[in-house]
Amino acid sequence: MSEAAEEMTRAQLRHGLRLATLLIVLGTVCGQGLPNVLRHLGSYPVPLAQLAAYAVLASVLAGEAVLLLRRRTWGRLLRQIAVAAVLAASVLSYVTLPEGRTSTSVDWVFGAANWVGLVVLLDRPLRAAVAFLVAHDLTALAHLVTIDPNRGDLARFATGSVTVIGLPLCVAVVAAVFNSLSAAAAAARAEIERVRVAEAVAEESHRRRQQRLAELSATTIPLLEGLADGSLRPEDPAIQRRCAIEAGRMRRLFAETDTVANPLLHELRHCADVADRKGVVVELDARGQWPTPPVAVRRDLTEPVLRVLATAASRARIAVVGGADLVSVSVVADSGEVDVPEPVTRGVHVETVTNDDTVWMEVRWQPTPQQTTQPAALQAS
Amino acid sequence: MAADSPADHAAGRTAGELITAVIVDDHAAIAAGVRAWCSEAVPPIALVDAGDRLADVWTGPGADADVVIFDLELVPRRPDFGELRRLVDNGRRVIVYSQHTDDATAIKCVDLGALAYLTKREGPDHLVPAIRSAARGEPYTAPSLSGALIADDAPGRPRLSQRETEVLRAWFVASSKELVAAKLNITVKTVDTYIARVRVKYANVGRAARTKSELVGRALDDGLITLAELNDTTTAL
Repeated sequence: MSEAAEEMTRAQLRHGLRLATLLIVLGTVCGQGLPNVLRHLGSYPVPLAQLAAYAVLASVLAGEAVLLLRRRTWGRLLRQIAVAAVLAASVLSYVTLPEGRTSTSVDWVFGAANWVGLVVLLDRPLRAAVAFLVAHDLTALAHLVTIDPNRGDLARFATGSVTVIGLPLCVAVVAAVFNSLSAAAAAARAEIERVRVAEAVAEESHRRRQQRLAELSATTIPLLEGLADGSLRPEDPAIQRRCAIEAGRMRRLFAETDTVANPLLHELRHCADVADRKGVVVELDARGQWPTPPVAVRRDLTEPVLRVLATAASRARIAVVGGADLVSVSVVADSGEVDVPEPVTRGVHVETVTNDDTVWMEVRWQPTPQQTTQPAALQAS
Repeated sequence: MAADSPADHAAGRTAGELITAVIVDDHAAIAAGVRAWCSEAVPPIALVDAGDRLADVWTGPGADADVVIFDLELVPRRPDFGELRRLVDNGRRVIVYSQHTDDATAIKCVDLGALAYLTKREGPDHLVPAIRSAARGEPYTAPSLSGALIADDAPGRPRLSQRETEVLRAWFVASSKELVAAKLNITVKTVDTYIARVRVKYANVGRAARTKSELVGRALDDGLITLAELNDTTTAL
């Protein structure tokens, strides 16, 4: 499952929440904050400071509106500046607030700056919003305690704080829940994707297994059936030879699906291993670089090796020499008489030379451009 | 190599004389194995075991040996090309006996003037003929070296004829000159000739060494190769 899809889900939810929050905050700051500032402008010692604080909050909101329209979020640096500006506006407003007017309608910033800060911190973890709200509230408290507050002042501050911290906090909690919901949705999508992939893989490997079984059914299964019903005798050298060839074919079949740099050498190693286990000393040597032959050609190239190794008595040498225009696989062993296999694909030729009981079988393949896949690097044995 | 070429006498050695070889190899089992092969050879070859002491190749009985069988990596993964060069420069006939099969190392040894490069997988079938050839000052080309030569695509390599490449390739894959001869419808002696011509061409390029110039001189004298064929290298474009 892609991170992109997860991010998209989250972005959609976040966008809706941001839009709703911004509208609420605009309503609060413009519909409640602005009338209060203007109404009490005469009672502030420095009215300009209050207007400046209001302008700072308005500009942060404008910034949020622009970012929201562009579907962007606050950058790390920009967010820090905005939060600092909101706190600074809050401090400025309190410094120039008449004494004893904390948490009244004169103290417009008490119920405005908290929302503006929340807007900036909405997509951050909950603790960021909480820390900001607490800082804002402590600023108001600091202003309150500079004078000797009476019980009424404290009660007013306490009830005001419930609204000032509580309401934005509710929105912040909702935002946090949205975030975790979108993560859950993305995880569910990932799970669906994973199950689909697993199903496709299972289907493909089942198809491959059936194909392999079909390939073996022509040669291996009659042999096994013959051994099982007693019509073929295991002590017969011809049957032993057939068994050795089939063992090699099965090893080759299993090796064909491995992902390796040089499939031809890999499959030859597996063919050689069957003889190696019988105690035949097998050398495998390779020179040059060649394009990777298709599976059918690789089977033609390895088939003589299987046949010769099946009856090798003590030693065998497999050598591969390759180039862009010719791949040659040779096998030399003390095998006596060996049937020459007939290549299935075009462009593959087998030659045999015999000297006493030593057999040299060479298969050559001339690649044509459309037959090749990717080039394979040389890996000497 | 051509076992009965006139070069036998040019190298100042008669057929009946006992060949002595000195082996430098830090593995006791290798030295013991080579000693067994040498004593079973007909006629037998005398072997001096220098162990891992290079000094014993220069002094004592090792100094008089006809052939030096040299383990290129007395220190693992640090092929001692310097010592090989010193031996060759002093007119010693060196067979490099290495456990590595990489082509660049094989060709470098030949370029420095080693008469043979054998991998330790290549047993008495190749080591004994290699010692006899080297004692006559002639090269021996084992299948592994053949493989390195056919895969060689360095810019300064000599140009080989199609038939030479074919023989070299067949020798590399079949590892039996009888099979190569049967397949290509030529005699074993002709197989040897083609392989020898390749080595002469290689001796004519790269670094100068006495063993190499002797080889080229003798090949020209014997008519194995002509001067025109020798000067036809791939770099002369």
